[in-house]
Amino acid sequence: MIRLQNIEKVYRTDTIETLALNSVSLDVAKGEFLSIMGPSGCGKSTLLNIMGLLDVPSKGSIKIADRVTENLNDKQLAQFRNKTLGFIFQSYHLINDLQVLDNVELPLLYRDTTAKERKMLATEALEKVGLANRVKHFPTQLSGGQRQRVAIARAIVGKPDIILADEPTGNLDSAMGNEIMDILINLNRNEGTTIVMVTHDENMAHKTHRLVRLFDGSQVQ
Amino acid sequence: MFKHLFKLIWNKKKQNFLLMTEMLVSFMVLFAVFTLMVYYYDNYKKPMGFKYQDVWVINISNAYQTKNTDSLDLYYETLRKIIKALPQVQELSFVSGNTPFSQQINEGGLTYKGKHIEHLNNFTGEDSYKDALQVEVLEGRWFNKQDAVSKYRSVVIDADLKEATFGKGQAVGKLLGNDDDKNKMKVVGVIQTIKRNGDYVKPGPGIYYRADTGSFRWLNKILVRVSPGADAAFEGRLYKTMANYMKNSNIEIEHLTNKLKDTNYFAVIPMIILSIVSCFLIINVALGLFGVLWYNINKRKGEIGLRRAIGATGNSVSSQLVMESMILATLSLIIGSFFAIQFPLLNVFNLQAHIYIIGMLLSIIFVYLLVLVCSLYPGRQAAAIYPAVALHEE
Ligand SMILES: Nc1ncnc2c1ncn2[C@@H]1O[C@H](COP(=O)(O)OP(=O)(O)O)[C@@H](O)[C@H]1O
Ligand SMILES: [Mg+2]
Repeated sequence: MIRLQNIEKVYRTDTIETLALNSVSLDVAKGEFLSIMGPSGCGKSTLLNIMGLLDVPSKGSIKIADRVTENLNDKQLAQFRNKTLGFIFQSYHLINDLQVLDNVELPLLYRDTTAKERKMLATEALEKVGLANRVKHFPTQLSGGQRQRVAIARAIVGKPDIILADEPTGNLDSAMGNEIMDILINLNRNEGTTIVMVTHDENMAHKTHRLVRLFDGSQVQ
Repeated sequence: MFKHLFKLIWNKKKQNFLLMTEMLVSFMVLFAVFTLMVYYYDNYKKPMGFKYQDVWVINISNAYQTKNTDSLDLYYETLRKIIKALPQVQELSFVSGNTPFSQQINEGGLTYKGKHIEHLNNFTGEDSYKDALQVEVLEGRWFNKQDAVSKYRSVVIDADLKEATFGKGQAVGKLLGNDDDKNKMKVVGVIQTIKRNGDYVKPGPGIYYRADTGSFRWLNKILVRVSPGADAAFEGRLYKTMANYMKNSNIEIEHLTNKLKDTNYFAVIPMIILSIVSCFLIINVALGLFGVLWYNINKRKGEIGLRRAIGATGNSVSSQLVMESMILATLSLIIGSFFAIQFPLLNVFNLQAHIYIIGMLLSIIFVYLLVLVCSLYPGRQAAAIYPAVALHEE
């Protein structure tokens, strides 16, 4: 599903050059639930951003869902992200000025859909994460766990093939974290969604199919 | 997408309130400036109605007085002959004090078929007035000797009064006046409205009466058309000639070209002041708008990154931000237009409706352009943000 070959990422600022990723090669199979672990600053987010086409590698090649993505233009990239990928972030990235339902509908706004379809799909996604009764709330009226569930609903509303989750339980206590984890596991199991998750938590990582460890930009396991 | 942006704006109404107020205030100020400009332009492009070049105004104060009308007429007829005899004088007319470009007014009112005309200027002039000022006769004729013996008192009206009373129809031969039938006045001619308040300010309707014997008691000004070459030396000669004849009177000679300059100056000054004030205001609003939009983008980096991640292109992010400001502008303009439209509806300043409407349209276009220009650059910047960087910060 995802094939990374010899990915290298160098961040250049005026004064320093950071080698965030050093020749990382990784294959993620269709339907796999992969976790990535490693100390802070080792390049996990960078790797995930490259997989999510939010960032471009300095070297190496990427193939996602059997497509080489190097030569896509801005519009094609945006469409590709919209259709194929779902993102979950540690800090949720919900829009606080929009109600839960509108937040979840967001990815569908960048597709050809009617308002009715959007509402139906968003409600369905919210049901899956157990928040069907919170559609009219604003994000600030929800707990952290609930917010992350809204973010998951938003990630799955467009029925993507792949979900990329960057420390989705990082801001949550273990009970809430487990809830989120259960939702992701079910999603992977029932819908066959491929999931790549960055985590700091060994327990969470062990619930996934496979664990990859990064250290200083290199893959160590 | 439109509904989505609307929701976003509505839910942020508190933050947007200030911005909308700024837009509203600038619209109202622009509305005032543009309306005034349109009003000035509207008057500017109308004809002057007469040839003011080479016309001099002679003011006479403390003139010869006598109870005897005949000797009074004789005195002034002699004066006329003395002036007319001067080589450079082409024509002259004794007139009422409200000469073109003077501050003097003589206003009255008139009712015609139930329609009341206010601020009607009453002018008095002689048969020679037409040639002295070279007024443009649109219909009928100027006064002549026949008018001294006509059944009704003869009047000449200007184009503005004609339009207010008779509309597009014929005016000559019609009767005017508030009194009972025998005191009515008969229209013998229509002349082009004379822009007595200068190039920019509307003169208002006018009616002309014929000077007759006895009018000399109070006609204290003379309009003299001189030949184009008349210079200061000639002006001195004219003055001396008159002073010789009118020993105890004060005589003052002015040129209409100069009077017009002064009159225009007084009209343009408030306009310039208003424009400067509004310029400062617009700059202020533009900077404010720019600042707020700029601040918005930095504050909304997370949102921008997220939108990019879930399928927005750089362009759609930037057009979203521009659209948001345009929606805000539209809301402010709707509110502003509601206030602005009251001016023609309630006829606040006695201006024609089309002047307000054009002023309003110009201000609407200006505000839209202002908002567009102020949001284009911040919008561009937003599009250039790398999604990974935007999502990282928070
Ligand atoms: N936009 C950037 N510019 C410069 N350096 C960056 C940027 N993003 C990340 N880095 C650097 O790259 C390295 C890896 O960062 P990151 O992938 O965020 O680590 P992790 O997610 O594993 O904590 C770090 O040293 C970080 O400082
Ligand atoms: Mg990270």
